[in-house]
Amino acid sequence: MKYFKAAVLFVASLSVSACGDISDKTVDQNFGDGSSGDLSQMTAGIWVDPEGCEHWLIDDGLEGYADLRRTPDGKPVCNSELPRNTATGPYKNGSTFLDVL
Amino acid sequence: MLNFKAKAAFAGLTAATVALTLLTAPLQAQEPRTVVGERYVPTIWVDPDGCEHWVMDDGAEGFMSPHVTPDGKPVCRRGNICGIMPTDQFFATNQHAINSAGKKRLQEFFKSANARTFVIAGHTDSRASDEYNVRLSERRANAVARVGRSVGARISDVRAYGERDPSVPNTSAANMAKNRRVEIYCLR
Repeated sequence: MKYFKAAVLFVASLSVSACGDISDKTVDQNFGDGSSGDLSQMTAGIWVDPEGCEHWLIDDGLEGYADLRRTPDGKPVCNSELPRNTATGPYKNGSTFLDVL
Repeated sequence: MLNFKAKAAFAGLTAATVALTLLTAPLQAQEPRTVVGERYVPTIWVDPDGCEHWVMDDGAEGFMSPHVTPDGKPVCRRGNICGIMPTDQFFATNQHAINSAGKKRLQEFFKSANARTFVIAGHTDSRASDEYNVRLSERRANAVARVGRSVGARISDVRAYGERDPSVPNTSAANMAKNRRVEIYCLR
Protein backbone atom coordinates (compact mmCIF):
# COMPACT_ATOMS: atom_id res chain seq x y z
CA MET A 1 0.00 0.00 0.00
CA LYS A 2 2.78 2.38 0.95
CA TYR A 3 4.60 1.62 -2.26
CA PHE A 4 1.44 2.26 -4.24
CA LYS A 5 0.94 5.65 -2.61
CA ALA A 6 4.53 6.60 -3.21
CA ALA A 7 4.21 5.55 -6.83
CA VAL A 8 1.07 7.60 -7.30
CA LEU A 9 2.72 10.65 -5.74
CA PHE A 10 5.80 10.25 -7.90
CA VAL A 11 3.76 9.88 -11.05
CA ALA A 12 1.61 12.83 -10.04
CA SER A 13 4.67 15.04 -9.56
CA LEU A 14 6.00 13.91 -12.94
CA SER A 15 2.78 14.76 -14.74
CA VAL A 16 2.56 18.16 -13.04
CA SER A 17 6.11 19.08 -13.96
CA ALA A 18 5.64 17.82 -17.51
CA CYS A 19 2.46 19.68 -18.33
CA GLY A 20 2.73 22.67 -16.03
CA ASP A 21 -0.36 24.76 -15.45
CA ILE A 22 -2.62 24.58 -18.47
CA SER A 23 -4.79 27.55 -17.62
CA ASP A 24 -5.21 28.76 -21.19
CA LYS A 25 -7.43 26.15 -22.86
CA THR A 26 -7.89 28.17 -26.03
CA VAL A 27 -4.64 27.24 -27.81
CA ASP A 28 -3.20 23.90 -28.89
CA GLN A 29 -1.04 22.59 -26.02
CA ASN A 30 1.06 20.11 -27.97
CA PHE A 31 4.06 21.38 -29.88
CA GLY A 32 5.56 19.15 -32.53
CA ASP A 33 2.30 17.49 -33.57
CA GLY A 34 1.96 19.78 -36.56
CA SER A 35 -0.39 22.29 -35.00
CA SER A 36 0.17 24.76 -32.21
CA GLY A 37 -2.09 27.64 -33.01
CA ASP A 38 -5.25 29.22 -31.75
CA LEU A 39 -8.11 26.71 -31.70
CA SER A 40 -10.35 29.10 -33.66
CA GLN A 41 -8.19 28.57 -36.76
CA MET A 42 -8.78 24.81 -37.17
CA THR A 43 -10.17 23.38 -40.41
CA ALA A 44 -12.84 20.72 -40.47
CA GLY A 45 -13.98 17.92 -42.71
CA ILE A 46 -17.28 16.06 -42.66
CA TRP A 47 -17.82 12.66 -41.08
CA VAL A 48 -21.05 10.80 -41.78
CA ASP A 49 -22.26 8.59 -38.94
CA PRO A 50 -23.77 5.11 -39.44
CA GLU A 51 -27.31 6.62 -39.58
CA GLY A 52 -26.41 9.14 -42.30
CA CYS A 53 -26.11 12.33 -40.20
CA GLU A 54 -23.20 14.73 -40.76
CA HIS A 55 -20.64 15.84 -38.16
CA TRP A 56 -17.75 18.31 -38.31
CA LEU A 57 -14.48 16.43 -37.83
CA ILE A 58 -11.13 17.98 -36.92
CA ASP A 59 -7.80 16.21 -36.43
CA ASP A 60 -5.64 18.79 -34.62
CA GLY A 61 -2.54 16.64 -34.21
CA LEU A 62 -2.71 14.93 -30.84
CA GLU A 63 -6.30 16.05 -30.26
CA GLY A 64 -9.39 15.24 -32.23
CA TYR A 65 -12.68 17.14 -32.23
CA ALA A 66 -16.12 16.28 -33.56
CA ASP A 67 -19.43 18.09 -33.34
CA LEU A 68 -22.87 17.76 -34.89
CA ARG A 69 -23.68 19.77 -38.00
CA ARG A 70 -27.02 21.59 -37.60
CA THR A 71 -29.32 23.64 -39.79
CA PRO A 72 -30.43 27.05 -38.42
CA ASP A 73 -33.59 25.49 -36.91
CA GLY A 74 -31.38 23.37 -34.64
CA LYS A 75 -32.00 20.02 -36.31
CA PRO A 76 -29.22 17.70 -37.48
CA VAL A 77 -28.17 17.45 -41.12
CA CYS A 78 -29.11 13.88 -42.05
CA ASN A 79 -29.97 11.81 -45.14
CA SER A 80 -26.47 12.64 -46.36
CA GLU A 81 -25.56 11.54 -49.86
CA LEU A 82 -21.95 11.18 -48.68
CA PRO A 83 -20.92 7.60 -47.81
CA ARG A 84 -21.57 6.51 -44.21
CA ASN A 85 -18.74 5.77 -41.74
CA THR A 86 -16.48 7.93 -43.91
CA ALA A 87 -14.62 11.21 -43.36
CA THR A 88 -14.13 13.66 -46.25
CA GLY A 89 -12.53 17.08 -46.61
CA PRO A 90 -9.52 18.87 -45.06
CA TYR A 91 -9.96 17.53 -41.51
CA LYS A 92 -6.27 16.57 -41.19
CA ASN A 93 -4.92 20.00 -42.14
CA GLY A 94 -3.80 20.64 -38.56
CA SER A 95 -1.85 17.42 -38.13
CA THR A 96 1.55 16.10 -39.08
CA PHE A 97 1.27 13.65 -36.18
CA LEU A 98 1.59 10.13 -37.48
CA ASP A 99 -1.63 8.31 -36.57
CA VAL A 100 -0.47 4.74 -36.50
CA LEU A 101 -3.39 3.54 -34.40
CA MET B 1 0.66 5.34 -19.56
CA LEU B 2 2.18 6.98 -16.47
CA ASN B 3 0.20 10.08 -17.22
CA PHE B 4 -3.04 8.18 -17.41
CA LYS B 5 -2.48 6.59 -13.96
CA ALA B 6 -1.88 9.98 -12.42
CA LYS B 7 -4.92 11.39 -14.15
CA ALA B 8 -7.09 8.57 -12.81
CA ALA B 9 -5.80 9.21 -9.29
CA PHE B 10 -6.55 12.92 -9.63
CA ALA B 11 -10.00 12.20 -11.04
CA GLY B 12 -10.71 9.93 -8.07
CA LEU B 13 -9.63 12.61 -5.62
CA THR B 14 -11.70 15.26 -7.38
CA ALA B 15 -14.76 13.02 -7.53
CA ALA B 16 -14.48 12.35 -3.79
CA THR B 17 -14.31 16.06 -3.04
CA VAL B 18 -17.29 16.83 -5.23
CA ALA B 19 -19.35 14.04 -3.66
CA LEU B 20 -18.58 15.37 -0.17
CA THR B 21 -19.62 18.86 -1.16
CA LEU B 22 -22.89 17.63 -2.61
CA LEU B 23 -23.68 15.47 0.44
CA THR B 24 -23.26 18.34 2.85
CA ALA B 25 -25.08 20.82 0.65
CA PRO B 26 -28.65 20.14 1.92
CA LEU B 27 -27.55 20.55 5.56
CA GLN B 28 -26.23 24.02 4.93
CA ALA B 29 -28.72 25.24 2.40
CA GLN B 30 -28.64 28.76 3.83
CA GLU B 31 -24.85 28.97 3.67
CA PRO B 32 -23.02 30.08 0.53
CA ARG B 33 -22.20 26.88 -1.40
CA THR B 34 -18.65 26.02 -2.31
CA VAL B 35 -18.22 24.67 -5.82
CA VAL B 36 -15.09 22.61 -6.26
CA GLY B 37 -13.91 22.76 -9.85
CA GLU B 38 -11.25 23.71 -12.30
CA ARG B 39 -11.46 26.79 -14.52
CA TYR B 40 -12.24 25.87 -18.16
CA VAL B 41 -12.59 28.94 -20.36
CA PRO B 42 -13.33 28.00 -23.99
CA THR B 43 -12.61 29.78 -27.20
CA ILE B 44 -14.94 29.75 -30.21
CA TRP B 45 -14.46 27.75 -33.38
CA VAL B 46 -16.64 28.74 -36.33
CA ASP B 47 -17.68 25.89 -38.63
CA PRO B 48 -17.93 26.26 -42.43
CA ASP B 49 -21.67 27.01 -42.08
CA GLY B 50 -20.73 30.04 -39.93
CA CYS B 51 -22.01 28.51 -36.67
CA GLU B 52 -20.12 28.67 -33.37
CA HIS B 53 -18.75 25.83 -31.23
CA TRP B 54 -17.09 25.99 -27.78
CA VAL B 55 -13.63 24.45 -27.92
CA MET B 56 -10.93 23.76 -25.31
CA ASP B 57 -7.53 22.04 -25.35
CA ASP B 58 -6.58 20.52 -22.01
CA GLY B 59 -3.19 19.12 -22.99
CA ALA B 60 -3.65 15.65 -24.42
CA GLU B 61 -7.43 16.02 -24.64
CA GLY B 62 -9.58 18.33 -26.69
CA PHE B 63 -13.23 19.19 -26.01
CA MET B 64 -15.90 20.64 -28.29
CA SER B 65 -19.59 21.39 -27.82
CA PRO B 66 -22.06 23.46 -29.83
CA HIS B 67 -22.88 27.07 -28.91
CA VAL B 68 -26.68 27.08 -28.84
CA THR B 69 -29.53 29.33 -27.73
CA PRO B 70 -31.74 27.98 -24.88
CA ASP B 71 -34.18 26.58 -27.47
CA GLY B 72 -31.44 24.47 -29.06
CA LYS B 73 -30.70 26.55 -32.17
CA PRO B 74 -27.09 27.04 -33.19
CA VAL B 75 -25.56 30.51 -32.71
CA CYS B 76 -24.26 31.54 -36.13
CA ARG B 77 -22.24 34.53 -37.29
CA ARG B 78 -23.69 35.28 -40.66
CA GLY B 79 -27.35 35.00 -41.39
CA ASN B 80 -26.84 31.47 -42.58
CA ILE B 81 -30.37 30.99 -43.84
CA CYS B 82 -29.60 30.78 -47.52
CA GLY B 83 -33.07 31.59 -48.84
CA ILE B 84 -36.17 32.95 -47.12
CA MET B 85 -39.24 32.97 -49.36
CA PRO B 86 -41.97 35.31 -48.11
CA THR B 87 -44.92 33.05 -48.96
CA ASP B 88 -47.18 35.97 -49.90
CA GLN B 89 -45.07 36.45 -53.05
CA PHE B 90 -45.36 32.80 -54.09
CA PHE B 91 -48.69 31.44 -52.79
CA ALA B 92 -52.28 32.67 -52.59
CA THR B 93 -53.89 32.65 -49.11
CA ASN B 94 -54.31 29.06 -47.85
CA GLN B 95 -53.01 27.67 -51.15
CA HIS B 96 -49.89 25.72 -51.88
CA ALA B 97 -49.62 26.08 -55.66
CA ILE B 98 -46.71 28.31 -56.71
CA ASN B 99 -47.45 30.90 -59.41
CA SER B 100 -45.38 30.71 -62.61
CA ALA B 101 -43.31 33.83 -61.87
CA GLY B 102 -42.49 32.34 -58.48
CA LYS B 103 -41.53 29.02 -60.04
CA LYS B 104 -39.10 30.77 -62.34
CA ARG B 105 -37.48 32.70 -59.48
CA LEU B 106 -37.17 29.52 -57.46
CA GLN B 107 -35.60 27.56 -60.32
CA GLU B 108 -33.02 30.32 -60.74
CA PHE B 109 -32.34 30.25 -57.01
CA PHE B 110 -31.78 26.49 -56.87
CA LYS B 111 -29.53 26.59 -59.93
CA SER B 112 -27.33 29.44 -58.68
CA ALA B 113 -27.12 28.47 -55.00
CA ASN B 114 -24.06 26.28 -55.54
CA ALA B 115 -25.05 23.83 -52.79
CA ARG B 116 -24.57 20.08 -52.46
CA THR B 117 -28.03 19.61 -50.98
CA PHE B 118 -30.95 21.61 -49.54
CA VAL B 119 -33.27 21.40 -46.53
CA ILE B 120 -36.70 23.09 -46.86
CA ALA B 121 -38.71 24.28 -43.84
CA GLY B 122 -42.27 25.68 -44.08
CA HIS B 123 -43.75 28.18 -41.57
CA THR B 124 -47.07 30.03 -41.18
CA ASP B 125 -48.45 32.80 -38.96
CA SER B 126 -50.63 32.03 -35.93
CA ARG B 127 -54.07 32.38 -37.52
CA ALA B 128 -56.14 29.20 -37.96
CA SER B 129 -55.52 26.02 -35.98
CA ASP B 130 -52.13 24.56 -35.17
CA GLU B 131 -52.89 21.32 -37.06
CA TYR B 132 -54.12 23.20 -40.13
CA ASN B 133 -51.00 25.36 -40.15
CA VAL B 134 -48.65 22.39 -39.87
CA ARG B 135 -50.38 20.78 -42.86
CA LEU B 136 -50.37 24.03 -44.88
CA SER B 137 -46.67 24.62 -44.22
CA GLU B 138 -45.95 21.01 -45.20
CA ARG B 139 -47.79 21.33 -48.51
CA ARG B 140 -45.98 24.60 -49.28
CA ALA B 141 -42.54 23.21 -48.33
CA ASN B 142 -43.21 20.16 -50.52
CA ALA B 143 -44.20 22.43 -53.44
CA VAL B 144 -40.88 24.26 -53.10
CA ALA B 145 -39.01 20.95 -52.89
CA ARG B 146 -40.68 19.79 -56.13
CA VAL B 147 -39.43 22.91 -57.95
CA GLY B 148 -35.93 22.25 -56.63
CA ARG B 149 -35.97 18.61 -57.73
CA SER B 150 -37.27 19.64 -61.17
CA VAL B 151 -33.99 21.48 -61.82
CA GLY B 152 -31.84 18.68 -60.40
CA ALA B 153 -31.37 19.95 -56.84
CA ARG B 154 -30.93 17.34 -54.11
CA ILE B 155 -33.41 17.90 -51.24
CA SER B 156 -32.30 16.01 -48.14
CA ASP B 157 -35.22 16.98 -45.88
CA VAL B 158 -38.59 18.77 -45.92
CA ARG B 159 -39.80 20.13 -42.55
CA ALA B 160 -43.17 21.58 -41.53
CA TYR B 161 -43.28 23.88 -38.50
CA GLY B 162 -46.71 25.49 -38.98
CA GLU B 163 -47.01 28.35 -36.48
CA ARG B 164 -44.69 26.75 -33.90
CA ASP B 165 -41.44 28.54 -34.77
CA PRO B 166 -42.26 32.19 -35.56
CA SER B 167 -39.32 34.41 -36.50
CA VAL B 168 -41.02 37.41 -34.83
CA PRO B 169 -44.00 37.61 -32.40
CA ASN B 170 -47.39 37.45 -34.18
CA THR B 171 -48.37 40.87 -32.81
CA SER B 172 -49.04 42.87 -35.98
CA ALA B 173 -50.01 42.37 -39.61
CA ALA B 174 -46.44 43.14 -40.67
CA ASN B 175 -44.99 40.60 -38.22
CA MET B 176 -47.46 37.92 -39.33
CA ALA B 177 -46.39 38.48 -42.94
CA LYS B 178 -42.78 37.94 -41.85
CA ASN B 179 -43.73 34.65 -40.21
CA ARG B 180 -45.43 33.34 -43.38
CA ARG B 181 -42.31 31.98 -45.01
CA VAL B 182 -40.51 28.97 -46.45
CA GLU B 183 -36.86 28.75 -45.38
CA ILE B 184 -34.29 27.07 -47.61
CA TYR B 185 -31.03 25.90 -46.00
CA CYS B 186 -28.15 25.38 -48.44
CA LEU B 187 -25.61 22.71 -47.44
CA ARG B 188 -22.28 23.10 -49.20
